[in-house]
Amino acid sequence: MSHCENRVETPVVATAEARQEFAEKVLPILESRFGAVRDEDDQWGFTVVVDGAQLRNVVLFLRDGHEYRVNMLLDVVGVDYLGFKDYTGPRFAVEYALKSVYNPSRRIRIKVRVSETDCKVPTISDLFPIANWQEREVWDQYGIVFENHPDLRRLLNHAEFQGHPLRKDYPAHKRQWLSTNDFLLPELEARLEAKGYKIISRSKEVVPDAEEYLTGSIKQ
Amino acid sequence: MIVLAPNGEQQSLMPLNVGPSHGATHGCLRYMTALDGENIVASVGEIGYLHRGFEKMAEQGTWQQVIPYTDRLNYCSALMNNFAYCRAVEQMLGIDLPERAKVLRVIINELSRIADHFICVAAAAQDLGSTTGFFYLFDSREMIMVIWEKLTGARLTNSYGRIGGLYRDTYTGFEEDVLAVCRQVDKNLHDVHACFDRNRIFLDRTTGVGKISAERAIQWGWTGPCLRATGVASDLRKDEPYFDYETYDWDVTVGSEGDVFDRLMVRLAEAEESCKIIKQALKRLQPGPINVDDPRIRVPDHAHTYQDMESLIGRFKTVYEGIHVPAGEYYSGSEVANGELGFTLVSDGSGKPWRVKVRPPCLTQFAVFHELVEGVLLADSMATLSSLNIIAGELDR
Repeated sequence: MSHCENRVETPVVATAEARQEFAEKVLPILESRFGAVRDEDDQWGFTVVVDGAQLRNVVLFLRDGHEYRVNMLLDVVGVDYLGFKDYTGPRFAVEYALKSVYNPSRRIRIKVRVSETDCKVPTISDLFPIANWQEREVWDQYGIVFENHPDLRRLLNHAEFQGHPLRKDYPAHKRQWLSTNDFLLPELEARLEAKGYKIISRSKEVVPDAEEYLTGSIKQ
Repeated sequence: MIVLAPNGEQQSLMPLNVGPSHGATHGCLRYMTALDGENIVASVGEIGYLHRGFEKMAEQGTWQQVIPYTDRLNYCSALMNNFAYCRAVEQMLGIDLPERAKVLRVIINELSRIADHFICVAAAAQDLGSTTGFFYLFDSREMIMVIWEKLTGARLTNSYGRIGGLYRDTYTGFEEDVLAVCRQVDKNLHDVHACFDRNRIFLDRTTGVGKISAERAIQWGWTGPCLRATGVASDLRKDEPYFDYETYDWDVTVGSEGDVFDRLMVRLAEAEESCKIIKQALKRLQPGPINVDDPRIRVPDHAHTYQDMESLIGRFKTVYEGIHVPAGEYYSGSEVANGELGFTLVSDGSGKPWRVKVRPPCLTQFAVFHELVEGVLLADSMATLSSLNIIAGELDR
């Protein structure tokens, strides 16, 4: 069986010392190679701030480096610092929480600061497939664009939703009329094509009426 | 739609929409399949039907006011979500809980885990047509619900965790009720195994269906029983122990194949291990305080409030201003029934959270659902879906 080899390495218990040791070992390398800086905001865990241009290199290094094997992407988090007390940096940040399944003391969060004017981060959805949906969520909630993402659509909100709700300047009480489902056929066809099928013809009742679809069926 | 298959053959595929309101989609989720006869050739999913803006609402209130929202995440094991959130905030505050609070949290965590796993397996059994299995498992789950009712005042969206302790102490007779649940769980497990283990229909419907390899599961960020079913012994209660889990004697259950059968059986075996933990925890349960003794964190009780100026101030301050969590950012993951429930918290030092981000364990499982069901029958996709235990409340937040 192909996954037998994985079971040889049994998980070990993460102690505070082991965590400290991992941070001390990996931080100088990240500093010298990728210009990473330890984030002092995270006084409880281990977070590094890197430049957006270096993000993919850092993730690749942590994932494929034989020493570390930080092999699981847990979460992609967007943060909006608009109006944050005594904060002067770029408005947004995208944070990636990673861990090693086989050595739980190796947990690291990578933080990329994103300015409002640029609002772009390179995608890591080709490195970790789960990042596809997680990045879609961040785009949906914050409007941060993930460059080269294969299918950057809204994940949780409706397709016709206006704005990005988790931004601090989006009022919590704001209401919108929303009524459509995602139109999944284009995605389904893309999926078929990825599997080597070629679409010859579609039935006419399933060809979308783009206007009706994007404006929704409920009119104010 | 007419397609040209990779083998050069022309096929007529039918796009079929499943959900969002379908008896087997457990909540509200939707996937669209391209069917060749009854075989699924390709599938894509959509979520968001239960999106209620948890994260936006969490930013509006104080740290304590987030707690009732957390029970709406995974409503099958609401109290466990409470504790996961409270634990994250407590770590930022740097406080340690009194012994009784920790033991009670362990007992309630494990009872929730049993209830959650039983609902998952029961619903899977129901989807496969086994109503008997469903009722066997709901038997002990109902007893747990009665405990919740007595303990918290509600059956489903109940909340019992508080930052720095618990809502209140247990009722008289709690220990006996919990022991009775353990006995009932043993009995129900015995019945259910008798029902399933040598059942030709059940085995045919579940073995080898919806398979995923360990590598693939890790790449897709799977945690919890679904990852363990692929053979990876990863459990945060063992790996990064909290609430003194390391001092209890229990084992991590792993499967080998990563198919529907393994996922369901891992859950049943975990319920057994949970019973072991509960029985040990009950022996440790001694009378004592259940809250940290700090009026700035845990609201002082009435007796003190009416007697003592400091407690009165503490009561006003914690309720009106909220708890002052030190400024900073933190990610904390706890092992809930479905896997690693993570909270990324950003605090600006005031009484309100700046950002609360939930990492729902079942999002990662549903994101790869298309890979699991491509190539199986449409009916098997139902079995696969229920074995993943997708909880829409947690998936969509």
